[in-house]
Formats: sequence, structure tokens, C-alpha cells
Amino acid sequence: MMQLLSRWTWLRRWETLLLIVLIIVLVINTQLSPFFFDANNISNIFRLSIEKAMVVLLMTFVIINGEIDLSVASLMGLSASVLAVTFEAGWSLPAGFALALLIGAICGALNGFFITYLNMPSIVVTLAGLITYRGVARILLEDRSVGGYPEWFTGLAQNEWIGTFPFTVILFAVLFVVCYIILSRTSFGRYVYVIGNNRPGAEYAGISVRRVKMLIFVFTGLMAAFAGLWYAARLGNIRANAAEGFELDIITIVLLGGVSIFGGKGTMLGVGLSLLVVLNIRNGMSLANVSSNVQTSIVGALLILSVLIPNWAQSLQGSKFWRSFVDRNRITKGEAV
Amino acid sequence: MKHLRLVFLMAVVLLIAVQPAFMQEVITATPGQEVDMLLLPKALGNAVFDQAHEGAIEAHAELENPGELIFNGPSEASAPGQIDIIESAITQGVGGIMISANDYEQLLPSTTRAMEEGITVVTWDSPVDPSGEALFIAQVDFSETGTVMADMALRILGEDGGQFAVLSATPDASNQNAWIAAMQEVLETDEAYAALELVTIVYGNDDPDDSYNEALGLIDSYPDLELIMAPTTVGIAAAAKAMQDEGLCGQIAVSGLGLPMEMQEFVENGCSQEFALWSFSDLGYLTYYVTYMLQTGAITAEVGVTFEAGRMGTYTIEEDPTREGGLRVLMGPFSVYSAENLEEWAIPAEGS
Repeated sequence: MMQLLSRWTWLRRWETLLLIVLIIVLVINTQLSPFFFDANNISNIFRLSIEKAMVVLLMTFVIINGEIDLSVASLMGLSASVLAVTFEAGWSLPAGFALALLIGAICGALNGFFITYLNMPSIVVTLAGLITYRGVARILLEDRSVGGYPEWFTGLAQNEWIGTFPFTVILFAVLFVVCYIILSRTSFGRYVYVIGNNRPGAEYAGISVRRVKMLIFVFTGLMAAFAGLWYAARLGNIRANAAEGFELDIITIVLLGGVSIFGGKGTMLGVGLSLLVVLNIRNGMSLANVSSNVQTSIVGALLILSVLIPNWAQSLQGSKFWRSFVDRNRITKGEAV
Repeated sequence: MKHLRLVFLMAVVLLIAVQPAFMQEVITATPGQEVDMLLLPKALGNAVFDQAHEGAIEAHAELENPGELIFNGPSEASAPGQIDIIESAITQGVGGIMISANDYEQLLPSTTRAMEEGITVVTWDSPVDPSGEALFIAQVDFSETGTVMADMALRILGEDGGQFAVLSATPDASNQNAWIAAMQEVLETDEAYAALELVTIVYGNDDPDDSYNEALGLIDSYPDLELIMAPTTVGIAAAAKAMQDEGLCGQIAVSGLGLPMEMQEFVENGCSQEFALWSFSDLGYLTYYVTYMLQTGAITAEVGVTFEAGRMGTYTIEEDPTREGGLRVLMGPFSVYSAENLEEWAIPAEGS
């Protein structure tokens, strides 16, 4: 009985389910298309979505912390537009990068300031950011498009490194490991969870809630700006509408990874798995010529399941039937009931 | 006798030498060759692209291509969405990609990569920079679009002219911008249109709701407005609907580029006077033929190459006057739809 139960708890974890879904997706993809396990294709999966993936990592911190950031995609567009305008004005690219990243950090800090110091809800503040930052991008570029960047810049995002071994995969892997360690192995990471779970409690415990939140928003702004630059390099040509609508995809991937929209719950591992699931579903279906509309619907259905299944598991856990098993299990383990 | 032989010889030599000039070869396609084809519209769920798809299906069957004809586009019109689909097509190893581009430049890295892999990239409806395509199948001459729109405005407003406004798609839509620019040039340079006053250009983003609201906004902002000219199928239908709902049909005319299927009711009830369009099904058909013939090596993308595209007849590849260094096949011409020729194009109501 005990063995069965412990197996159940393991199964109940959303990460496990995601892993199973991922394996199913990979198996189906290889069946559907002979091109799926092509090295070029695997590198392409990452190359074509790396900008979203970067921001997904930071968005995980934001949502676990009990906040939301809707302004990331507009910030990506603003950062790309800033680069375009400075490039047009004859600045060197590194100077343009620096200004774009600085503006990203400042916008993130602005978001954080309104949320933490003026106690405004993050959904409102960042919605305003979504509109304003995009607006500024449109003022900067109007309906023009700016291209003609040097090869070394565009090549960074468009080419592959060491044969077909892609640079973007390494970049993402490094960022993922860094974020994973910060979230699950440092005191800062623990503060993120504690604040998301119980903010007043965290304040009583002497955690500097404001500092933690400010840091998260500043780094999210910085990462969004960096992702915007990367996106500019990949397209080789910048318009003010760059990355428009990406925020919804980004938030979807984070939530699908088992992060609670109410904060306090979720893991970087789950988000990483969810990212792989979404990217592979989209890629596999594209290779099998499934229409984009169907792809979008399937990701939507998965999102609903990601909320339903843990809820369902929890209510099952709360039921009398389940409780009687759990209690018995605890007694045998010698725990207090 | 000797003279006669010399004359004869000279005549033969001359004939051989000038032959290409007056006996230009018309190349026909060889059916039955296997080429996987991707038809990539700006977005899914738009009637005109579905019609282009039908035209491509027709050509696909006619050429007995044992390969696949894939029709896929992004859910919403965006360049990144098209990039993802092009990259998948490269992985799949298709032979031909036919694109109605969402952006003139942003698709270039992907289409160039496709061409390096030996894939024929042909654009239709909306081109990319010539460096990233074999050639462009132009539906109509872009400058002709300007004249056609100006003519329709003149016919509707009459000799006395009046105020009219343009309701376009997105501010960065390259087709619409080129057409509007062509129309503005005609208005400025040709005395015949002197009485027409273009008061403003607004953008409905090819979204029915946005276009509807922009049309209403025009009525409020310009009390003397007599005509809304919408060079987009979404915009013209939304504008006609707005005039119908406001009871302004007959007072403010609606014209532009529209789909007969969608515009029939508005022409019948007098909310729209006349509009123009080309056949998207023909465009899909011609695009398919050209792509197939390029990929099978029947023709090359060079100026002066003449070929036969099935039921549509003979076409010649020419320089694109609107894009430096670009090649095009010009389909043309426009059809103008109005109440006068309603019988020819309207679909009779069911049950009557």
C-alpha cells in the first residue's frame, strides 16, 4: 500500500506528467515526420524561439513571486527599436546595445517602483507598460523598417555554431542552469517563494520584500531588452511591431510549467519541460503540416489541463476516501496525524 | 544560277541568325514530375487566400504532380509566424515555396536559406526583396491600381468631384502603401482628377472591428465626406457595413478593392457603388505553374522567358518596374464590379 501511495505522490507532481507528455510528443513527432530527429531541426527548434525562452526564465521568477509582467514583449520591441534608431544615427552597435539594455533595466525598474513602492497591482502597471513601451517604439520607428546590420551581429542569431551544433542551445542551457540554481539553491530563490506564498509573513520574517521584487523586475526588463536585441539579429530587420503578442506565449509556457498564477508554487524544471513540450508540439505539427490554428488550440487545451489536473489531484487528496489511505500511510511511517 | 544559289544561302543564314528574335519559344510544362509545394499565405482564415489555394489545387491536379501541396500559414499575419513555417518546409525538403509575404525584409534570412538548399522561392500577392526570391507574381500593375481607384472615385463622385478618404490595412502593408501612393500620384499629376480631394488616410489594420470604427470616425471628422475608398477587402466590407448600420447608404459611397462574394449584398442595397479586384484563384493557379516550371527546370528566372501557364495562356518574365533588380510575371487585369454588371458576377440567392 505504502509503495503504491508513494508512487502516487510521485505521479501527482506536474513535472512528472509534463515529462510523460514530452515523451509522448517526441514519440509521435518521430512517427509523424522522418525529419524530426534531424540535427538541423533540433537546432532550429531553439533558434526560432530562443527570445521567448529567455524571457520565460525570468517570468518564472515574476509569477512565483506573486506578480505578473505583461510589458515584456513591448520592451523587446522597444529595445530593438532603440538599437535601430541608434544604428541609423551612426552609432556603433555596442553603444546601441548598451543604451537598449539600459533602457530595458530602467523600464523594469519603473515597473518595479510602481508595484513595490506605490503598491499598485502588477497587472495594471505592466499593462500600462505594454501600451506605453510599444507606443514609444512606434514613435521611434513609425512605419519604417531598419536593416543592414553587420554580418557578425545578424550571424549570431541566424547561423549555427560548430557544424550544426547550435550556439543558441548552449546559450539557453547556460541561462537555464543559472536561473535554476538561483531559484532553487540560493536564499534569494527561497525569498521569492516565501514572498509569493505569504507576503505579510515574509515581511514579519524580516525579508526585504521590496528589494527582492525590484531586483526581479529590473532583471526581467534587462532580459527582455536582451531578448529584443537577439530577435533583431535573427530577423535582420527591425520594425516597431517586433515581438508583438509574445507576452501571452511566454506566460502560457510558464503556467503550463506548473507555476501557480497566485504565486508561491512552481519549479524551474517544470517550466523548462513545458518549454520543450510547447516547442516540440509546434515543430512536430509544422513538420506534419498540421495547420497553425490546430497547434494553437492544442497548446490552449494543455494549459487548461495544467490547471485542472493538479486541482483535481488536490480535491481527490482532500476527499475522505483518499484521506483514509494517507492517514494509514502516515501512521505506518510513524508521523503524527 | 550562281546568283540564285548565293541568295538562297544568304537567306538561310539570315533565317537562322534572326530566328530567336521573331520565333520566340513558348515553353510548356512537363506534367507528372514530383515536387512538394508549400503555399504560404499571409495568414489562415482569409477568404482570398483560400481562393488562391483552390487555384493552386487546380494546377496541382492538372500538372499531375505526385508530390504534396501543403497549404499553411500563421494564425495571425506576422513575419515570425511565416519564418517558422518556411524553416519547417526547408527541413521537410519541399521543392517549391510560394509566399505572400508579411514583410519585405524580415523573411529574407529564411528565404535565402531555402534558395541555398535548392528550393524555388516565388512570391505572389506581396513580394520580398528581390535578393530573397526567384520572382514575383504580380496580380496587377501596382501603378494601374492607382488609376483604377482614381477612376472609380471619379465615376462615383462625378465631374464636380468632392471629398473622399482612404481606409487602408496596416500602416506598414507594402501593397496598400504602393497602391495609395500610385493613386496620390495620379491625383496630383492628372488634370482629369483635379476635383477629387483626398482628405485623409486611416488604418483599420485589416481587422473588421477596427475598420468599422475607423469608418465611423471618418463620418464624424469630415462632415462633407462623400466617399470612402478602401484598398483592402476587409476594409471595404467593414466600411459598407458601417454605412448600412448608420443608414448612410447613398449619401456616403464605398468603393475600393473587394471580394464579389462579400460585397454582393452591399451593391444590391446601394451601400457600395463599385469595386475592383483580380481573381485570387487565378493568382494561385499561375503562381503554382511558374513555381513548378522553375523547380523542374523547364524555365529559368530570366527576363524574356516566355511560357504557357495552362488555361491562363502565355506569359513572359519581365523586369519589375516597382522594385529595382526584381523580376515579375504580371497577371492582370482588373475586373470592375458594379450594379451595372451585377448579373455577370452575382451569385443568385438560394431558392429563387
